Amino acid sequence: MPSKLYDVVVVGSGAGGGTLAAQLAQSGADVLVLEGGPKIDTRTDFNTHALPFQFPNRSIPVMKPGKQGMESERTRGVGGKTLLWNAVALRMSQRDFKGREHDGAGEDWPINYRDIAPYYARIEREVGVCGNLDHLEDLPDGIFLPPVPMKCTDKIIQAGAVKVGVKVIHVRKATLSRGTRIRPACHFCGNCMAGCDVVAKYNSADVQMYPAIRAGKPLTIRPNSIVYELAVAPDSPRVGEVRYFDRVTREQGSARGRITVVACACAQSVALLLMSKSPSFPSGLANSSGELGRNFVPHITCGIAAFLEERIGAPPVNDEGFLDHAYIPSFMHDRKRDYSRSFGYQFNYQNHRAVGWARSIKGMGKSFKESVKAHYPAYITFTGYMEITPNRDSYIDLDYDVKDRYGLPSARRHWKLSDEDWRRYRAVQDWGRQILTASKSEILSVSDNPATNHEIGGCRMGSDPNRSILNSYCQAHDVPNLYVVDASAFPNASEKNPTHTIMALASRAADHIAGRLKKGEV
Amino acid sequence: MPSYSTDRRGALKIISAIGATCAYPYSSDELYGQTVEHHHENAPAAPLPDKPAFFNEADFGIIARIADLIIPQTSTPGAIAAGVPLYIDSVISRNKPQQQLAAEGIEWLAKKNFAELSESDQLAILQPLCDAADAGDLKSRPVQFFQMLKNLAVDGYYTSQIGLIRELGYSGNTAMAEFPTCEHEH
Repeated sequence: MPSKLYDVVVVGSGAGGGTLAAQLAQSGADVLVLEGGPKIDTRTDFNTHALPFQFPNRSIPVMKPGKQGMESERTRGVGGKTLLWNAVALRMSQRDFKGREHDGAGEDWPINYRDIAPYYARIEREVGVCGNLDHLEDLPDGIFLPPVPMKCTDKIIQAGAVKVGVKVIHVRKATLSRGTRIRPACHFCGNCMAGCDVVAKYNSADVQMYPAIRAGKPLTIRPNSIVYELAVAPDSPRVGEVRYFDRVTREQGSARGRITVVACACAQSVALLLMSKSPSFPSGLANSSGELGRNFVPHITCGIAAFLEERIGAPPVNDEGFLDHAYIPSFMHDRKRDYSRSFGYQFNYQNHRAVGWARSIKGMGKSFKESVKAHYPAYITFTGYMEITPNRDSYIDLDYDVKDRYGLPSARRHWKLSDEDWRRYRAVQDWGRQILTASKSEILSVSDNPATNHEIGGCRMGSDPNRSILNSYCQAHDVPNLYVVDASAFPNASEKNPTHTIMALASRAADHIAGRLKKGEV
Repeated sequence: MPSYSTDRRGALKIISAIGATCAYPYSSDELYGQTVEHHHENAPAAPLPDKPAFFNEADFGIIARIADLIIPQTSTPGAIAAGVPLYIDSVISRNKPQQQLAAEGIEWLAKKNFAELSESDQLAILQPLCDAADAGDLKSRPVQFFQMLKNLAVDGYYTSQIGLIRELGYSGNTAMAEFPTCEHEH
């Protein structure tokens, strides 16, 4: 007997998969979510409130003893990375969607801001995003809950930044600044990235999928299901079967959907398509263009650490809050520069239980101890975020020699900064120094080693099927019943944290799928 | 019962300190799948082992003495009271290159009769190592040895209950009814 045919099978349950699955189930579609990791109870399973001295090696494990989850990038858990994210939720702007048109660099999206704006608004209403209305061209306002007050240290940096013509605004986060009927407001314990155990911070499981299930909508989640192949039907370029094995028992299984949606977080989505080879698609599913894995444009960060002089020797305060309360939005688009595009800064997100910087305080003995204590309230982190433009040396492929614990080839990331990307990186360093100097800081370090953060690209959308994998609805050009809804679909990164745009794209794709199901097109 | 306190401006309402049980300022009993009580667990320190796992008694004494000189007892307890020597021992017991460096460093100090010297003579040996490490001059093995011990002592002390909470005054990990507004002139 053939297995049940779902309307939609979704691989992955994070910001993209969770948003899309819940929205489709709410519209009446019969949805199956396959998640590689276990089900996690956010109230009880994370070490949310642990302190380092509770552990002999002083390192706080993510999960409580005996609780499973977050064991590998293929098997995080139901809710994916939204369980541990920092919740920064930024809308991208028209200039971000049309970078080539404005700067002659990177790649234009096949959509305009106005196409996605209603979906940003829908997500903001659904999940709750706090922020201030700042009327900035490059960071559009949204439907916001009231912002959370800035920290004293944010105001010091704000006063310094304004001296060099840079604006500091309230951060925008998918964390509740006001309670709702079923979710409390944030209580500022500072442990957002250790797993919010009251769901003041959005995660896709508690905010979208479980409520849909409780409301009796046709949404089934199968945890511990590691998908390793999307099998194409022999007679047509359509995904026939989604093949998985159980994380615990290793038993094989398969699922069928009229539509299959891949949402495994960028590199893993690309890896799954690359693993899904067939006579029709010998180099990977939906890869007739040869672009699958190409155009990988991860965020590049520049880490800066400093001590604010005004706070040296001040009494320590509890300002953990919900980590960063302020943000420096992109400010270079309209200024003279020798590189394309721009960058922004996230800062003051340190958690004061981490005192690793004390190693760099000079001296020993009583004076050393006093110096650490004096610097403790003054320490801040300050990190620049920037994009790179797509280049042939930045891509994702499979490493068949390095298998993961399940015997699957690992996803391998390659990335390189072009000369122009380096000029942009130098500007991130220079502006960081200028802002912190104007804020009267002792600068401890400015990283000379670009590091990657949010993974973006590899499966980009575009209007030309020869140069892209997906169309503007995240639907594969080659495979009409396949969608990819995560940051791999982005043609360029911008400097903004990607999650809000992932959710908005997923919501837009869900509308597209619901429309096609309704019309009986699939 | 929750305990309430206010800071000097009275703007900050701390509902609980570490280990206390707090109540949310909500009347609803429908808060996400739980009662209105939100409990931040007590955070007892992990017990330290009785004796070192790696160093012998004499060598452990030297390690402990250096840790004590890097972070001495002042008006607050120092490295010894915070159990830092046992932390250093546990890290080095799992790391071969560190074991080699420790052995060389201890031998170098033994030739100078370090354990028998007065505090000022011990400092006269260590201070130049500390200065070189601060200047980034890490060519010599004794300087590398000192820097390793300083890093481990700092890590161990400031992640201990004594170092983090008593010495530095860490007061996060609490529940606040609202985030305090800064009213300073900046």
